[in-house]
Amino acid sequence: MYFQKKRCIAMLLAGGQGSRLKVLTEKTAKPAVPFGGKYRIIDFPLSNCVNSGIDTVGILTQYQPLELNEYIGNGQPWGLNKTHSCAQVLPPYERHDKKSGWYKGTANAIYQNIDFIDRYDPEYVVILSGDHIYKMDYADMVAYHERNQASCTIAVRNVPLSEASRFGILNTNPDNSIYEFEEKPKQPKSTNASMGIYVFNWKVLREALISDEEDETSSNDFGKNIIPMLLGAGHKMMAYPFDGYWKDVGTIDSLWEANMELLGKEPAFQIRGNERQRIYARNSAQPSSYIDEDAKIYNAFVAEGCEVYGTVRHSVISVGCTVGEGALVEDSVVMPGVVIESGAIVRHAILGENSRVCVNAVVGGAYGPKDKKKISVTSKGAVVEKNTVLAPGEML
Amino acid sequence: MNVTGIIFANDATMGDLTSKRTMASLPFGGRYRQIDFHLSNMACAGIRNIGIISRYNYQSLMNHVGDAEEWGLELGEGGLEFLTPYAMSTTDRYRGKLENLYFAMDFLEYGLGNEDEYVVLSDSAVLSNMDLTKILAAHIESGKDITIVAKAGIADGRKQLDLAVKLDDKGQISDIAVDYVAGPEHLASMDTFIMSKTFLVHQVRELVARNLCHMDRDLVLGLWQKGVASLNVYPFQGVALFNESIEEYFRNSLSLLDKQIRHDLFGRCHPVYTKVRDRVPSYYGEECEIENCLLADGCFLEGEAEDSILFRDVKICQGAQVEKSLIMNDTVIGEGARVEYVILDKNVTVRPGARLVGTPHDPIIIKRGETV
Repeated sequence: MYFQKKRCIAMLLAGGQGSRLKVLTEKTAKPAVPFGGKYRIIDFPLSNCVNSGIDTVGILTQYQPLELNEYIGNGQPWGLNKTHSCAQVLPPYERHDKKSGWYKGTANAIYQNIDFIDRYDPEYVVILSGDHIYKMDYADMVAYHERNQASCTIAVRNVPLSEASRFGILNTNPDNSIYEFEEKPKQPKSTNASMGIYVFNWKVLREALISDEEDETSSNDFGKNIIPMLLGAGHKMMAYPFDGYWKDVGTIDSLWEANMELLGKEPAFQIRGNERQRIYARNSAQPSSYIDEDAKIYNAFVAEGCEVYGTVRHSVISVGCTVGEGALVEDSVVMPGVVIESGAIVRHAILGENSRVCVNAVVGGAYGPKDKKKISVTSKGAVVEKNTVLAPGEML
Repeated sequence: MNVTGIIFANDATMGDLTSKRTMASLPFGGRYRQIDFHLSNMACAGIRNIGIISRYNYQSLMNHVGDAEEWGLELGEGGLEFLTPYAMSTTDRYRGKLENLYFAMDFLEYGLGNEDEYVVLSDSAVLSNMDLTKILAAHIESGKDITIVAKAGIADGRKQLDLAVKLDDKGQISDIAVDYVAGPEHLASMDTFIMSKTFLVHQVRELVARNLCHMDRDLVLGLWQKGVASLNVYPFQGVALFNESIEEYFRNSLSLLDKQIRHDLFGRCHPVYTKVRDRVPSYYGEECEIENCLLADGCFLEGEAEDSILFRDVKICQGAQVEKSLIMNDTVIGEGARVEYVILDKNVTVRPGARLVGTPHDPIIIKRGETV
């Protein structure tokens, strides 16, 4: 088989469990969690690849892959199904030399797929993760990497000093070259947080992965092992500052917040975009949405295939949902296929796919703008029975 | 399924709305083109070989259908072919569908579906959500030469029907009429027919050779009268929208605001597929008032809309009012403007403060790309 040589390919780490998303990831890998009405989290890095001109993407899956694999399919929604482009799902597999099995860490996941990358003989490999919401032109980052003749470039964003100890922090010289990496430092020296987006020279990364695999004490992780190893070996490593919107949606609260940040006339995150900034998703065949004469919708996204008879305020309503007569949905994220029956009240909640809130049930509660909000969550297919209450912060 | 599908893309016209597009590519229902309903009916019945007969203006149609992957019809498991009139230079006056079929003989006999036994013929002006497998089974069981899919309740003593059929108490055909203003006892042909391919190929050759080119008049009525063909009528029970004039198109579009009609057309037997455009969900602003409307994706709503259909990426600015109207893709209604009983084609700009008011029977139509 013939494989066209590629200057740059991407490897997308999509195998994480996302356990902090609790009931939402019980049956679904985190990258397949719905977002923004018609998208899934993985649509953002995948669309960024396509919009950056990267047409070969390996997607490393491990946890609950069924839905994710099905979603990615042949890569057609992102235009990654052409003769010389691909979205290749790469699950763990068994090899004759036993250097295989479950992915032990992020670096091991790439190590086990060296053969896949070698087929394209790339100069650069972009390593991405499937749990962030953002738009970024990776081509610009690769050009920066090339211009600086670096071995590795890591995207960084400025975080408040008070939060810096939650991140991997990169300490840099004035020219943005990295002299030190500290994973979750107790006393951070700077506020350059790693975004988990890396550009590597493939030759350098390939060698590093092989020697890391030979080290039995290594936890085979990019942040913990590969980056410090390369720094120690004296490779030129650059920080690539990024100041656009970026959100780790790894927790219930941050997933809810990121959805809310889509709203408003000038939202914190502008999901609309022209050709090079569009987010692509696998579409379901849903008709236009019907908005009844008694419906009231303010400051909200409503995707296709919905029927709205009640009131929706400051919320994201995904494809194929119903909001019944007299129902109220406020400050909530309603995932695809949810039915909210008449008279039900849903506030500060995330309703998982195909869940149902029956007649006159109450989910979540109201808060003032400065209160600490507790988000109520329903899992996929859950039913909040008629006339019952799912209290603030509770999960079903 | 061993059936080939044929869709006629433009056997009717609708003024300014079809001056630069086919009837098949006329937008309908917010996210669709008329042909989506026919392609979905066929694809969901497992029909894999489809020919689209299109005589002119087919650029927008080809753009919409593409390689038909949205309908699962991309090449590899059958496919879809445009049958454009390569021989029309010899006959510049259009004489009828049979002549088009005559030029599609290669497709039927040697093309994609050369091994198929049956043909379903469909015209893009009549929209429905039908299970063609059931209709084919009924056709085979009837043992007749041609099955006409027909709908009761369309004939009203005013509308001229292309083909009207009347059944007696035993379900036998008692009358057939072409281009006829029929009363309520007649059923209206939905311009969907099933017959064996051998029969169709043979009859088209025989009829066109004798300068008989009209599908309803020469193939159906003519052969029935001569006793050459036996007919079966399949009375369709679902919603059938006959979009044969601007007035009907306008009325039928707004009829989608009725839940029963909408649910039947979009979900009676199967989903309706269309070309994916990757637009964001529609955004409803702080002060918008949307009542009894059908809206596609990508809209940005700050003003008011009532009893209307909004297509993709429509923008309604603050203080604008839209009532009983069809607003197609990318059209912008400026601040404080008011439109009522209008059809605004794609990319129209209504200036701030402008007023456009039509009537239910004669909606104002603004052509694509115009500013008013």
